Order: sequence, then structure tokens, then C-alpha cells
Amino acid sequence: MKTGMNSLSEMGRRNFLGNVTTGLMGVGLQQLLSGHVQAGSIGNPHFPAKAKRVLQIFCPGAASHMDLWEHKPMLEKMHGKPLPGEENMVSFQGKNGPLMRSPWPFQPAGESGKMISSMLPHMSRHVDDIAFFHGMHSKTNTHGPGCVFVNTGHATEGFPSAGAWISYGLGSMTDNLPTYVAIPDVRGEPPNGKANWSNGFLPAKYQAIVMAAHKPIRNLQRPPQISEKEEAVTGNLLSFLNHHHAAQRASESELQARISSYELAARMQLSAPEVSDFSSEPAHIHQLYGTDSANSLKSGYARNCILARRLLERGVRYVNLYCASRASGVDGLLNWDAHKTLKADYERHCPVFDQPTAALLTDLKQRGLLEDTLVLWTTEFGRMPTNQQGTAGRDHNPDGFTLWMMGAGVKGGTSYGETDEFGRRAEQNPTTIWEFYSTVLHLLGLDYKQLSWYHNGLDRRLTDVHGHVIRQVLA
Amino acid sequence: MKQFWYFAALFFGVLSIGYSVDFVKDIQPIFESHCYDCHGAEKQKSGLRLDVRSRALKGGEYEGPNIVPGDAEASNLIHFVRGDDGEKTMPPKGEGLSVLEIKTLEQWINDGAIWPEGVDKVTLKDPREHWSFQPLNPQAVPTTKDRGFPRNAIDHYILTGLKAANLSPNPPADKRTWLRRVYLDLTGLLPMPDAVAAFLDDESEEAYEKVVDSLLASPRYGERWAQHWLDVVRYADTHGFEVNTPRPNAWPYRDYVIEAFNSDTPYDRFIREQLTGDLEGKDSATGFLVTAAALLPGQIGKDEESKRLARQDELGEIVNNVGEAFLGLSIGCARCHDHKFDPVSAKDYYAMQAFFSGVLYGDRELPNSKYEEPAIKLARMEAELAKQLPSAMSGVERGQVNVVLNVERFEPVVAKKVRFTVLETMAENRREACIDEFEIFDTSGRNVALASSEVKVSASGSRIQPGRHELPFINDGVYGNSRSWMSDKVGTGWVEFEFAESQKIDRIFWGRDREGKFGDRLAVNYKIEVSNDSGGWKRVADSTDRHLFQQKHIKRHAFHKEAFPAAVRSSATKLSAERDAFVKQHPGGKQMVFAGQFTSPEPMYLLRRGDPEQPGEEVAPAVPEFFGSVSLPREAGDRDRRRTLAQWVSSPENPLTARVMANRIWQWHFGIGLVETANDFGLSGVEPSHPELLDWLAAELIHSGWSLKHLHRLIVLSATYRQSSQYRSDGMAVDSGSRLLWRYPSRRIEAEPIRDSMLLVSGSLNLETGGPGFDLFQKRGGLSGFPPVEVFKKSGFRRMIYAHKIRMERDAVFGAFDCPDAGQSAPLRRQSTTPIQALNLFNSQFTIDQSELFAKHIISIAGDEVAEQVNYAWQLSFSRSPDPDERDDAISLVLSHGLATLCRAIYNSNEFVFLP
Repeated sequence: MKTGMNSLSEMGRRNFLGNVTTGLMGVGLQQLLSGHVQAGSIGNPHFPAKAKRVLQIFCPGAASHMDLWEHKPMLEKMHGKPLPGEENMVSFQGKNGPLMRSPWPFQPAGESGKMISSMLPHMSRHVDDIAFFHGMHSKTNTHGPGCVFVNTGHATEGFPSAGAWISYGLGSMTDNLPTYVAIPDVRGEPPNGKANWSNGFLPAKYQAIVMAAHKPIRNLQRPPQISEKEEAVTGNLLSFLNHHHAAQRASESELQARISSYELAARMQLSAPEVSDFSSEPAHIHQLYGTDSANSLKSGYARNCILARRLLERGVRYVNLYCASRASGVDGLLNWDAHKTLKADYERHCPVFDQPTAALLTDLKQRGLLEDTLVLWTTEFGRMPTNQQGTAGRDHNPDGFTLWMMGAGVKGGTSYGETDEFGRRAEQNPTTIWEFYSTVLHLLGLDYKQLSWYHNGLDRRLTDVHGHVIRQVLA
Repeated sequence: MKQFWYFAALFFGVLSIGYSVDFVKDIQPIFESHCYDCHGAEKQKSGLRLDVRSRALKGGEYEGPNIVPGDAEASNLIHFVRGDDGEKTMPPKGEGLSVLEIKTLEQWINDGAIWPEGVDKVTLKDPREHWSFQPLNPQAVPTTKDRGFPRNAIDHYILTGLKAANLSPNPPADKRTWLRRVYLDLTGLLPMPDAVAAFLDDESEEAYEKVVDSLLASPRYGERWAQHWLDVVRYADTHGFEVNTPRPNAWPYRDYVIEAFNSDTPYDRFIREQLTGDLEGKDSATGFLVTAAALLPGQIGKDEESKRLARQDELGEIVNNVGEAFLGLSIGCARCHDHKFDPVSAKDYYAMQAFFSGVLYGDRELPNSKYEEPAIKLARMEAELAKQLPSAMSGVERGQVNVVLNVERFEPVVAKKVRFTVLETMAENRREACIDEFEIFDTSGRNVALASSEVKVSASGSRIQPGRHELPFINDGVYGNSRSWMSDKVGTGWVEFEFAESQKIDRIFWGRDREGKFGDRLAVNYKIEVSNDSGGWKRVADSTDRHLFQQKHIKRHAFHKEAFPAAVRSSATKLSAERDAFVKQHPGGKQMVFAGQFTSPEPMYLLRRGDPEQPGEEVAPAVPEFFGSVSLPREAGDRDRRRTLAQWVSSPENPLTARVMANRIWQWHFGIGLVETANDFGLSGVEPSHPELLDWLAAELIHSGWSLKHLHRLIVLSATYRQSSQYRSDGMAVDSGSRLLWRYPSRRIEAEPIRDSMLLVSGSLNLETGGPGFDLFQKRGGLSGFPPVEVFKKSGFRRMIYAHKIRMERDAVFGAFDCPDAGQSAPLRRQSTTPIQALNLFNSQFTIDQSELFAKHIISIAGDEVAEQVNYAWQLSFSRSPDPDERDDAISLVLSHGLATLCRAIYNSNEFVFLP
């Protein structure tokens, strides 16, 4: 077994044809598993912090706060009556009808007795670990700008996502896997696609690599028509050409960097399939997540949840996990955008989301990973307390919605902020996404004011020119 | 204690506080402890800053002066700290000011608010003195003693900088290296072996100039340099955001930019054309105004707030583009508040927006003969389709009458006149009949009814609505309800066409609304008659053989599948679908361009905190006050507005315009600008490394008649550019970033030149220019999820600038090489090196396919001899012969695994992808 490229000259270039190696650049699996590989750069946090990695779950389509997380008894009481003061409200898709109660009862959960939708029986077991932000509000009521706003802190396209910022701020913890991974749902990418995990104007190394249990990293493996041996000798010749070229250009660091990138790629070729191979996962883990479900959406998402855990375990800094996808011809079919048939839509989405997500949280906790992992649950905005006129669904509501976080450094069993009694507008402690991310960065040991990148006239930040750490949710 | 102060204050309050207030001793500490957190050096909420005299006396953005010397009661500062207006009590958090402190402030203001000069703990740099806002000041070129190095003025400037740092330049690069460098730099393609040989053989000094002249004259130059500009203006072929619909007519702007670079359009004209090209016969140029992502009408919320916000965002993007691309100013930062660094107030910002408040995002007809083909192509398709429909009065039932397009086919007949008589309109004759266009074709397929062919039109009577319904509109060649004829009687009426000469005709097209928007006023019972010179009318078609009219199918045009006889139905339906797609892209048979629509400007208001729901005073178009007094009255029309702005931006007197572009050109040659922040010449930008050189280049740009090719020639023929890129420890120690240019900064080439050069050496590069882009993905727009094209055909072997660019979706193979996503302006390509790049370039289907083609290409020229093949591979890829070690290894690889294997390794090599 040959070692890495740097020692190529030692063994003499003549040997390159004779050595058959497993990877793109001749890095062996054994070397990889023996821990011989140096960890990559770790950026320096601005101050010590517990959280080292982030799992961000995103439910695209604007998942309803008042049907999942924030109990609004007034909707029961005033079901069918007009929303006081906004009787003729026109929102995103048009006119609104009267107030509409949630189709399912809420139930108290945990020691805190937090009221949570009965559609989320598994998630309800985690409420004592969660800090809810019930007073969120957004500046847009449109899915595309809304998704990028919640992911990048800007409602226009082209800004770096939170995962890119944090990869830039904290660097990598592994040389074998990407720093930042986005896991799209089995149903496809979310609204606005890759803009949600873009590096924007940050260097390309901070963009998310897309992979899922159902979808390996593109171009990861050698093409089928190339034999293992051919792959190896091609890599060896390339290595020889590059070293030969670099030898005449001493200390050109860019040339060395590019040579190293092929080594990193080779490591990734070996570790990425290992991370996606669930054969070592025991049966009770599969059962916990629900990978055996007859519902293929649920089992698909459950596998992605296991993948998320395995990535975090192996040192991936930021995992962006999606539950549901883009819009479809029928609103609410492929994602949480329940315009017309809320009950039917969420009876499809909640069972997909509930058990696997709760299992992932349980699993992170039982492995001790929650000690240094911060979990975020996000969506682009909320929904109206009224029905959309003539339907049994709810229209977009940018003025009030819920996000939550749990894990490293977070005070569980907290509810920060509140919408009004109907769930229409953030009323108590209204919170912006900038404050949410100020808090996230703080939990990671980063000062939201210092984490910046100069671009086109401004030191750009994840929290734009805003921000404020919400101390009430810190443990 | 508190009580004591309270009474003491009351007591002093009545009598005033009884001693004279000193700013430094009494006032500054109050500000420091209560106000600086939000109104000091760090933050200036509402634009108010209380730690600097000039700013404090000016006041904040919204409340006017907060301190009125001599009048505490008129000073907002006092109202705020006293809490007169409950909501705005200052400070908003923590303990408020004590009564004594308030009284002290009151007295200080009443005494004249004396704030001595020189007591501030910080001094603000006066933004007006910022270097880039000063007029160009080109100095005499410095002379340097080193006679060996300089080739032109540039080198004297660079050498002066190097001497000051005790550095010397590198020796010149060898000729081969320089040639690869200048080819990749100017055209984005590698030099081919014959060009290398010719240059190496030519030992004259003019050899360099000849190469540069030929590259600048090559169309490949524009294809390379237009990409730089498209990066800056964030060009894409989709609208962006969630729905990311195709923008099928954006490409004429891309082609315009390529052509502008190729023809060396003077840069001042290039600016003017992009702002007012509609007035200068360059319609596609105004694509510049609308390059940004935008929400389409259906994607914006139905609530009024959403509509206003979307419109603000559209206008905001235009100002961003003008500010960043032309002026290197982040004017957009003043949308919510006065610019934090630069002399651009929020009012200035909205005054800038006002120049564009008549611009709408949308397609416009491209009135350019070069693009007339669509009309011809559509006519040909429709004639072909019409042929397959049953003739009128042939005994075969025809499709029902519809609003969009009805076809009447008959045996060829010689006619002097044609008359269409309405006998009945839909819905029991409720309304007058309407016809938007009536087309009569001769047997050669020409529309002989057009007004332009001297046809006389008459009618039974016309209901006139000026500009909308008039008789001449029936044969004006323009479709749609807004240019149509309407009868003056409900249910009936006729219209008659008389040709100047008799015509042999066999087909008529007519419709109520060819755009298909209206579903009323349709003639459901009619007859068509012709008459020749001898008089007498002959019926050629009527509605009696048409399928019974059903309102639900009112928009099924003549080429609906039901209308075709079974024998031809499947082939005709396919052609009909092609026609529909074509019409969608070329409404009215016209080539459209996504270059904005121009209407009368809407009023513009200063928006508080950038919020469209908080309009303040109305503003008129004006350039930022600091830059001059160019302004227009509020009544000014759209053209005047854009023209005025264009003149100001493109003026040689504008201190920013020439500097910004000269710097961009420099940056694209050397990888880094003289000013590193190419889009920001404001106060937060980086100062130039060589200010005198920048001014000299900017002046050269202007004096050459704004010729970009002049700058290219100066730069690439300089000794600075010709240096080797060799590292040197003394240079690295002093200037590791090579800002002083002691070496030529070598770097990886961008995505486009990598892909294009791979195609070039494999012999598969398709040099077709212009027109709609080729596909990198399996769809051209739409909701997320863009499966990439894996195997490309010939059209996919075009240069990458001709790819249909999906916003926010980077190419699956080359996007990882720092391709911008067309979200925000990209003045500079970052140079990342990532394992994903390695995986893509090593394993992608594209590389595997190209390696095969590369191998075939080599064999076709070098023959079967492996040594020859290896040698030729090196000539093509590296512009040199392999050295013996390389050759031996390459030959063994080819012998054991084939030539394509070698080609794949070459494509991935550093030497292939680095600008040497």
C-alpha cells in the first residue's frame, strides 16, 4: 500500500505503474482508518463555547406555527369568526376568510407542560430540551426570498448561507469529509434550490456539498468504464506531472494547494461511501428512526436523519437537513405550504417529519453529541390564523412564526417571544432572523459583529447590519 | 440621595442651574455615559452621531437638527431625553438621564450650544476629500534609471514602486510562457501549436505586437472579456428566486456585450448604450437595466405591501447595478439610511432611483433586421400547418371558430377585393364584432393584405376608440386587442380590402385577439367573398362547414389537434406544439429582448428606513448632491431621466467612471486591481497600490477615445506583464501578495477557459456565435432541481459564455471553480481550490468524453506512433515538447491503458489549468 502524494518522490516515480491503489490519488483506506490523516484547519472561535457543530433542519413551504408549535386557544374559541381588526385582509394569495382552529388538539408535554400539537407525538418528548422562538417575523411573504432570508439573513439572492459563514468562521474538523453538507429531501430540492446552501461571495470551499442517503456526492467515484487499475495509474501520472511541474516552480503555494485538493478528494472517495453505508447500524437504530416504514417518504427522510448523525459524528461542521421540497402544482403536496387543505397536507407531512426527527435528537443525545452540537429547526415564515377564503388552508404569514433550537449551550424548556392571541403577529419579544443567528453564532463562540467578509463596499455579515444575542435562551 | 437631587434640580430648574455649562466638563460626559452606545463611533442609530461636533449639530436622518443652539425647547434632543414623546424616550433602555443632567443640557443649548473645535475624541475624515472623488490628476510619467526594464509608461510606475520597497522586477518570461499567458488572458483559449511555432520563429521585436493585434482582432477576445462584464452585472437567463422561470430573451444583451468588446465600442458609449440604447439603435444594450433577479407578477403576493416591496426591490437593483458597475460606489447601502461611509444620503439614493422610475422589467421588441428570422420562420410553420387543414367548402367539417386564429383555405383565386361579412357574433349578438388582424396570403405565402402594400380598407362602420380600436389597425401587422378593428353595430358588419393590383390568393388568417387574452366579440357566423376586376362577388369560405361553436373551446386556435384530419393528426400536432413554443418565445413573430419597458415615471418618495410603507417627501431625479448639481424636475419623462444620468456617468469629468474601468481592466489582466475593491472606490474600499498609475491609465482611457483595446495593448505589451512568475524569496518576504508586481502573479484560470480549452485541444470546440444559449441542464428554468446534462452534443461544445445561465445554479462540473451565481455582482472571481473541483475534473462524464475525443484528435493528426502522439499531446496542451522523463512515463501509460487515459491526466494537470 502506497502512502500519500508527498512521499511520491521517495519511492521513485518509476514505480507508479506498478502500484495499484484504491483511491484517486493513491491514498489507502488503511491509512485513512489508521487516523494517519491530519485534521484540517480549525478556525478560531472568538471566545470559548460549547457548540462545535450545527444540525439545521429546514421544513420548506412555511410550516405553520399555530398548527405545530404555538398553541392558540383563541382559535378554538373564535373558530369561524372574523379576525378582529383585519376582517378584509388580503394576503399573499388573496382574500382571507374567518379564523380557523387547528385541525388537531394540542397536548401538554414534558415536565414543562409545553402545549404541542398532537400531530407530533414523538417530538413532544423533546420539548424540555428545546428553546422555542415564537415571536419570529420576516420581511417577505414570498417563498423564494423567504427561504434565502432565513438561510442567509438577506432576502435577495447571492449571499452566503449560515452554514457557509460558520464553515468560514470555524473551519473544518475533518479532512475526509466536507465541512458543510446539505441533505435535500427525497422529494427534491427546496424552493430556490442551491441558493439555500450557497457560499455566495465567500470562496467556493465554503459551499455545501450536496449528498443524501438516496443521492451520493456527484462525481465521487470513478466512472464505470474506467477500471480500478486505470484509475490508479492515471492518478499516479497526474501526480507525477504535477510534482514535476511544481519542482520547477518552488514554493508556488497554489500549485501545492491544488495537488493537496486531489489528496483530499481521494480521502473523500473513501470516507463518503463509508458514511452512507448503514450496514453497521443495528436494527434498533433503524427501528428508532423508522427506516423500515412502508411510507417511502418517511423511510427516505429517516435514512437522511441517520446520515445526518453519521456526518456529525465524523466531524462535519454543519449539516443542513431538509424535510420536504419545493412547491408543486398542488400547494402543500410536496412541502408545508398548506394553502387549501391543511388537514390532509399536514397529515401527510407530520408523520414523515415526527418520528425520524425525534429519533435523530434522541440518538444525538444518547451518544453525547448534543453536548457540542447545536440543533436548529427552521422554516421560511408562518401561516395565517384565518382560512384562505373558501378553503380549509392557511395563507402565508411573515408577521409571526416559530423557529427553535436545542443542544449545546441552549436552555431547554424555554419559550421566548409570542405571537398575539390569534397567532397573527409577533407581539411579545418580536425576533428577527438576525437575532436568531446572532444567538447561534454566539453559541458557537463567534461574535456576529466580527464574523464578516468584505464585499462590494461593506463588511458583509450573516446578520446584515443588525443583530442581538438573545440571552434568555442561553443555558 | 435621589430625592436630594430631585429637589435640588427643581430648585435650580426655576433659577436655571446657576453656573455656565462647559462642554468638555459637563456635556461630553453625559453623552458618553448615556448616548454613545447607539450614537457614537460604533453605531449611529437613525444616523445620529453625538461624538463628533459636525455630525451632532447636523442631527439624525429623520428628525432634523436635534440641537438648535439657543433654543432648548425647539431641540429634539431635549424632547427625547425628557421623554416628551413616550415612544421615543432616550435612552430607550437602562437608566434615563437625571433631572440635573437634563437641566444641564437645556442650559447648554440655551446658552448657544457652544461646542469648541478640537475637543472631540475622534476626528472624522471628511468624505469629500476622499481620493477617488477628486478630479483625475495624471502626473508626468516618473523616470527611472533602470534602462533595461521599462517598455512603456506602466513599467516606470511599477519600477518606481518596486525601488521604494527595495525590490527589482523578475526577468522576462520565456516567449512560450508569455504566449500562453496572453492567449488565455485575451481570448480564454490556449495557443495552438502552429501559432506557438510561428511566434517562436519570429525573432523580431514586432512579434509580440503582432500577436496582441491578432488576438484583439479575434472574435474570441469579445467572448472572453464579455464574461468579465457579465459577472459584474450578474447576468443570467432566468428570473431567479423560487420559480426561476426562463428569461428566454435575455441573450441579445449577452451578445451585445460580446459585440461591444469586439468592436471596441468606446467605453463612454458603452455606458450610454446600456442606459439609453433604445434611443441609439442599440435596443439589446438596455438589458443592463434589468439583469437582476426579479419576481414576476404571478409570484408577488396579492397584498399591496408585497407589490410595493417587489417594485422597490426592482428599482433598487438597477441603482445597485449602475452604482457598482460604472461608478464603483455602493450607493445601494443608502437605501435604508444615509451611507455609513460615503457622501450618499438616503435622499440621494431615492433621487438616483428616480432616474429609473419609468423602467419596468420586461421584454421589448427587438427592432433589428438581424433578428427578423423569427417572423419568417413562424410564417413558414403556419403555412405548413394550414396546408394540412381541410379546405373551406370542401365538404369536410372544419374546426370551430375561435378568438385566436382562424384559417380559411380555398383553391387559388385571382382577386382584386376581399370582403369579410359578419352575420352573427357570439352570445346572441350581444356585442359588436372585433377583429385584431386580417391576413390574406398569395400563393407564394406573402401576406398581401398588409397596409404597407398599398391596400385600401373600408368597412360598414367602425366604433372608434383612439389608439385601440381603429379601422387601420386591422391590417397594420400588429396583433392584439389594443390594435384592432371593431364594427359599429352589434352582431353584424363587414370589412373590405382592395389591392392595388389583382392577387392570386389561397389562404386567409383572421382572429379576434391573436394574443388570446380576450374571449368575447367573436364573429361566429360569417362569409368571405372575393371579387376580380370584372366585378361580382364569389364566396370562398364561410362558417357553415365549421364545427358547432362551443364557448368552452373559444381559445382553441386553428392548429388544435382536433382540427386536423386523422391521417395527419399526429405529425401536425407535433408541429403545432413546436409552433406554440415558438410563439411563446417570439410573440407576434418578433424577436424580443429582455431589456426593460419604458413608461412614464411613477412618483418617487424618500422611504423611511427603506420601507415602502413609510413614504416621506417626494424626490426628483438627481445625482448625489456631493457629486454635482445634475437634476431634473419631477415632471421629466423617462427618456430625459435616463439620458441625463447617462451623460453624467459617461462624462470624462466624472472622477470615478474612467478610474473604475481602468482598474477593472488592470485587474482582469493581473488577477488583482490597483484598487483591490473593484466595485468600491468609496471610503470603505481599499486605497490604490499605485494611485499615479491608476490616474495615468484612466487618463489614457479617456484620451484614446475610451478605447479598451488601447489599454489592453499597453498592459500586455508592458515589461511588467512580460515578467516571469517565478517566486523569489526577497519578493515574498516584502510583498507576498505580489501587489507591487515584482513578478507576474500566476493563478488558476477560471471555469470558462478551462472548459473551452479542453474542447479546443480535443478538436471539438464549436465556434458558433450568438443566439439562444445551449443547455447545461435538462431544463431551462423553473422550480428547483436542475438535473445536469451529462453527455453533450455539438451545441454543447460551444464556448461556455453561450451557455443558458440558470441563476443560482452553478454548472455541475465547472461551477465549482468559483463561477458566480448571478445573485450579487461579482467584480472578481475568487480562487478556491477544493476537492470537489478535483472530483469533477477527474471523474465527470464531460472529462471522460473529452478525453476520448482528445485522443482521437491526436491520432488523426499524429498517427499511430505513440511517441508522436505523446509529443503532439504536449504541443496541444502545454505548447512544448515533453521532456524525456515525461515522455517515457506518458508512453508507458499510453501503451498500457490507451491514449485517452493520458488525456484525462493532462486535463487535470496544474500546467493545463494555470495561467503561467
